[in-house]
Amino acid sequence: MTAEITAKSLKKRKFKENLVAYSFILPNFLGFAVFTLGPIIFAVYLAFTTWNGSGPITFVGFKNFKNLITDELFLTALKNTLVYCVAVVPLTVVCSLFLAVMLNQKIFARNFFRTVNFFPYVASLVAVAVVWNMIFNPAKGPVNQLLMLFGVPDDKLPRWAADKNWAMFTVILFSVWKNTGYYMIIYLAGLQGISAQLYEAATLDGASKHQQFKYITVPQLRPTTFFVIVMLTIQCFKVYDQIYMITQAGPGTATLVLVYHIYNTAFIDWDLGYASAIAMVLFLLVLAVTLVQFRGERKYANA
Amino acid sequence: MALVLSAGMVFANGQKEAPAAKGPVTLKWALWDYAQTVYYKPLIEAFEAENPNIKIEPLDLGSTDYQTMLSTQLTGGDSSIDVVTIKDIPGYATLVKAGQLVNLNDYVKAKKINLAQYNGGAEQMTVNGNLYELPFRSDFRIVYYNKDVFDKAGEKYPTNDMTWAQYDALARKMTSGSGAAKVYGNHYHTWRSIVQCEAILDGKNTVVNPPYDFMKPYYERVLNEQQDGICMDYAQLKTTSTHYSGVFYNNSVAMMEMGSWFISTLSNQIAQGKTEVKNWGIVKLPHADGVKAGTTVGTITGIAVSNASKKKDAALAFAAFLTSEKGATVLAKTGNYPGIMNDNIAGILSGMKGFPQDAASKEALKTTKLYLEIAYSDKALQIDAALNRAHDSIMTKNCTLDEGIAQMNKDVKDILSK
Amino acid sequence: MQTLNVTKSSRIANITWKSFVYFILGMSALLTLIPFVWMLSSSLKLDKDVFRFPIEWIPKHPRWSNYKEIWETIPLGRFIFNTAKLTVIVTFLQMLTSSFAAYAFAKLNFKFKKTLFLCYISTIAMPWQVYMVPQFIMMRGFHLNNTHLAIICLQAFSAFGVFLMRQFYQSIPDELCEAARIDGMNEYQIWGKIMLPLSKPALSTLLIFAFVGTWNDFLGPMIYLTKTELKTIQIGLRMFITQYSSEYGLIMAASVVVLIPVLIVFLSLQKFFVEGIASSGIKG
Repeated sequence: MTAEITAKSLKKRKFKENLVAYSFILPNFLGFAVFTLGPIIFAVYLAFTTWNGSGPITFVGFKNFKNLITDELFLTALKNTLVYCVAVVPLTVVCSLFLAVMLNQKIFARNFFRTVNFFPYVASLVAVAVVWNMIFNPAKGPVNQLLMLFGVPDDKLPRWAADKNWAMFTVILFSVWKNTGYYMIIYLAGLQGISAQLYEAATLDGASKHQQFKYITVPQLRPTTFFVIVMLTIQCFKVYDQIYMITQAGPGTATLVLVYHIYNTAFIDWDLGYASAIAMVLFLLVLAVTLVQFRGERKYANA
Repeated sequence: MALVLSAGMVFANGQKEAPAAKGPVTLKWALWDYAQTVYYKPLIEAFEAENPNIKIEPLDLGSTDYQTMLSTQLTGGDSSIDVVTIKDIPGYATLVKAGQLVNLNDYVKAKKINLAQYNGGAEQMTVNGNLYELPFRSDFRIVYYNKDVFDKAGEKYPTNDMTWAQYDALARKMTSGSGAAKVYGNHYHTWRSIVQCEAILDGKNTVVNPPYDFMKPYYERVLNEQQDGICMDYAQLKTTSTHYSGVFYNNSVAMMEMGSWFISTLSNQIAQGKTEVKNWGIVKLPHADGVKAGTTVGTITGIAVSNASKKKDAALAFAAFLTSEKGATVLAKTGNYPGIMNDNIAGILSGMKGFPQDAASKEALKTTKLYLEIAYSDKALQIDAALNRAHDSIMTKNCTLDEGIAQMNKDVKDILSK
Repeated sequence: MQTLNVTKSSRIANITWKSFVYFILGMSALLTLIPFVWMLSSSLKLDKDVFRFPIEWIPKHPRWSNYKEIWETIPLGRFIFNTAKLTVIVTFLQMLTSSFAAYAFAKLNFKFKKTLFLCYISTIAMPWQVYMVPQFIMMRGFHLNNTHLAIICLQAFSAFGVFLMRQFYQSIPDELCEAARIDGMNEYQIWGKIMLPLSKPALSTLLIFAFVGTWNDFLGPMIYLTKTELKTIQIGLRMFITQYSSEYGLIMAASVVVLIPVLIVFLSLQKFFVEGIASSGIKG
């Protein structure tokens, strides 16, 4: 008798708990579903069609994906995007964590330094990209002037954004410079969540600053680092604005990335179906990488 | 599920609106740089004065990315835009291909519009016998030169009848100095059309038909000038987004190929005291051996009517006004070059304040033949993109000239075969 | 005796560390300040002089009139007002709905939790360029084209915000919530009275990002706001580049002016990033 009642009331309580949880999610999810999720699902459907935005939508099955395999521009864009990702993610994580740790201590003019590092992220992209191109000007920019001072001969000077071998490097540097401030903020917030008592206890035990960093800071920052790496990876795969501003995917196709190719296909060729297909591949790639990272986090959390 | 279905229905059918009510009609006119361009207001006022029951509402979509914006706004059969300004052929081709423009053949016949007044412009816009836009502005390329720089060097001004070889030689004579005080003989803006379109002026080739080996001699001339420091380095110009106007204002260049639109900008800036250059002139574009002087590159900005517009009659009337002699006169009075060119219009233009008063400059306005920057092709936008990539590689020396041309040939052949 | 030695060597280590820190910070400040100085100096030049080499760091004839011209050439005041309005509304909505939803993902257990969360995160991976056209056609169907409401609807419900807040909520110990439940609080009270106050750094972070994101947003307003009186700052900046000229001096001046509100917001939130705030609660 009691077992039945307990089972029923357990089920009822579970139902109520689910309802409460959903009520928390509803405001955000409803807006998200209508304005974002809907169009995304439609875009996924488009990947299997041909459509120019105005005419009829024709279903073509996997034809778009078959064309992808032989599309030279797609393969170049894929390679460039991967290179960009592999370079930017670790560099940005290291720089932003480093800066955050330094700016979390009591030092002179701390707010000034925090603001200064945040500035590249905040300033308008148009202005900042122009500035960067000026500084890295192939002939007379300050960077090359400096290199000349160090004795690099005139014809060996890298021509940065105008050189197919250095263009990607220039964009990578720009992205790291621009985004470090952003991720520094996230790390700063994460650092606030670490109890000061942990550090006090460690100092009493005689641990050095280096040891404290390795055994307290890094592990405690796990959820934050996870967030940073996932967001960075996604942002790197989706990069477009920086490329547009600095090199316009040039010279040639040296800095052509996936989203740039998608944009060209969608708004120059007006081949929206094919553009969606490229996006599907991009999406699956990112999903795979994110899942791997999720697995990694869960394994650690359970350890 | 229901969401996706209803969304699908919206996409498939476009908007269904109630029929327009009788009474004052408001037309939306898609354009760019509304506040910065002097002729939009006078044109609107002149038309509204003659047609009191039609109001014109400008829609400024911005100059950069104008075509992308316009095409996006028109997707899915949108009826809110009535009259569209079209920047260039690739934009025109994109809109025609998507069936978004009204076929003007019947209207032209009914209103007896004389297409000859556009000096061949209308013919170059005709696609399979159908005309979808009327020439509104027609700018052509000329050579601007800095009289003060020439006087200082003691050299004779360029003439209205030079070959490319003579142009090159003159530029080499005019280059002097170094560092901040350097004067370059020539200036080539970073657009691919500056170099590539020089090659089409003998009428034997177009930019939309590979192979492109005919462009070689012209690229060689420019690359050599770049190598020898006769003109500025392309990579430099590209990465700093340097505008051609700045270098001319600074007395840093002796000569420059540019479109006729720059005449009114230049006069204005000099009048406002924002430039160092004070005395300048224009001459016709150099020509190849055997080609008549006065043959030059042209760009046409057209006016068209959206196929989805609910107010086609009013829209067509407005489009016709803008491209008529009346509209052309308003344009000319503001120093801009309309699609119609005759002695009357030319007179107004050369009488503008600030227009160089020497005979050669006035003579430079008389063109003999205009070749469009890019001929009509329904793949024009993609071909333009492929040619841009190759031009960039060639001029930044990231590949040799032969490699660049081979790449152009390959890419465009691929595009045309799809 | 031993304690004295430890203090001495640790003091030297301290000084070495501090000097290293100042050196690195100085270098990074230089790296970020040089471009800013170039921006400032360009904002006082004519366009034709902005890209001249050698770089004239201090203009000979500074054009202070640039700062006046930007308000006259484009309706910059109007644009700033529009942008501020959008930014405030979107930021508030984002903070509210994201922290609300994140609580459920971090601290509650319910059916489909993992799937829903993965759904959220994976959509961040879709580049906007892909679904921009279907979204645009849909919004037009809702008659939201050329309204500020369109931008608000698109930006206020952010998967990114949910992800960010959830990560921070995870670092708040579960014991706190358990204790509150035993005390008789319902979930909404726990969210309002415990989670929110403890997540001030996270909320400030989200505020900054939402603020800057909306303030600098370009593609959304470009597509949806074609009527001049609705446009925002970023579109306004691009109006300085016309078909036949570019006014980079004015662009730089406007960029400097527009930077100020953001820096003010950032500085005023710094007090939430002071170390040691969140150590409370464990002793309970």
